[in-house]
Amino acid sequence: MTKIVEHEEDEVFDIELEESILKKNEDFAKKNSELFKTNNIKTIDIMGSIGSGKTSLIEAMVKRLKEKHQIAVLNGDLTTTIDSDRVAKHGVDVIQINTGKECHLDANLISKALEDMELDQLDLIIIENVGNLICPGEFRLGAEQRLVVISVTEGPYMVLKHPFIFMEANVVVINKLDLAEAMNVEFEKLKADVMSINPKAEVIGTSCRNDKGIIYVIGALNLN
Amino acid sequence: MTLAAYMHELSMVSNIIDIAIHEAKKRNATSVIEVNLVVGKYSMLGLEQLCYCYDLLIKDTLLKTSKLNIKHEDGKIHCDKCKYKGPIPLKEEPEYHIIFPTLVCPKCGNPAEIISGRDCYIKSLKVKT
Ligand SMILES: Nc1nc2c(ncn2[C@@H]2O[C@H](COP(=O)(O)OP(=O)(O)OP(=O)(O)O)[C@@H](O)[C@H]2O)c(=O)[nH]1
Ligand SMILES: [Mg+2]
Ligand SMILES: [Zn+2]
Repeated sequence: MTKIVEHEEDEVFDIELEESILKKNEDFAKKNSELFKTNNIKTIDIMGSIGSGKTSLIEAMVKRLKEKHQIAVLNGDLTTTIDSDRVAKHGVDVIQINTGKECHLDANLISKALEDMELDQLDLIIIENVGNLICPGEFRLGAEQRLVVISVTEGPYMVLKHPFIFMEANVVVINKLDLAEAMNVEFEKLKADVMSINPKAEVIGTSCRNDKGIIYVIGALNLN
Repeated sequence: MTLAAYMHELSMVSNIIDIAIHEAKKRNATSVIEVNLVVGKYSMLGLEQLCYCYDLLIKDTLLKTSKLNIKHEDGKIHCDKCKYKGPIPLKEEPEYHIIFPTLVCPKCGNPAEIISGRDCYIKSLKVKT
């Protein structure tokens, strides 16, 4: 019997995909969200610009909430543990997530961190995202609520220049109001800017330095 | 271009390449010839950075001779209240003259939702077996 070895023609064909490049992240986010729900844990993703006061806000919130809630804080940072150490001083669990070179936390990193946590012991998880007003907005982590912190020291255009992250937030905090006058920036104007981009957002002014406005943030997040 | 923005494209492009390789292998393809990408006008991805990162990352992969085609997609919102569906409305700030997008429905004034224009997806691939 003769065996015929045929030369196979190269075959070119199209694959229709329609697959979002964020799909993998969305899948992990959904998984995280379900995990939070089954364990009855409230979760807040805190985003915002570099140095706007994300860690200061978390410290101020934790101080007020730690008696009433079992809290863990997940801290996303490029490389350092400075922020984690600051929050850990208040006697709550802190998990540091090094993002290395990445400009944002993603749902997979959160999911890995959750593996080592005793979720049944917790009822509130606060996540500090990497300081950046661009990328974190696109990567949902599965948190129930999203909060954006900016400060008056970043000048009057900050909101209008980065509209999309404000569309993602249900609470927006405008921090460092103690410096508003010196900076010649008006809280009411920034608030109006946020509202004209996202009319559903709740906008609150704070001064973490003077411990002002924190209870309203807690109220807006329904953590009372 | 800030480092953060650049890193963003790098991780997005590495996602694109992972998806393409996964699909190609599923079909025993020996190479990927074309990647057809749709990029929302309001995604945070820069075209130049995308292409730059793409060329950088396809080396030594099934995509090494592939071409990246990019199509833009307009932004759209949908209003649940009055069922308006259309382009993302733009507003001009009177004091600084900055033009910005808004979720306020242009027909009824209620908050609307973005339904397209923020995402980036692979529409199709051309592969060779
Ligand atoms: N004047 C003033 N300074 C503040 C206020 N809140 C925070 N700061 C200061 O601003 C600096 C940055 O605050 P952080 O809380 O570290 O800000 P962050 O957003 O966590 O910073 P990164 O994580 O590095 O992006 C610190 O020196 C704070 O003491 C405030 O309300 N008023
Ligand atoms: Mg911080
Ligand atoms: Zn409407």
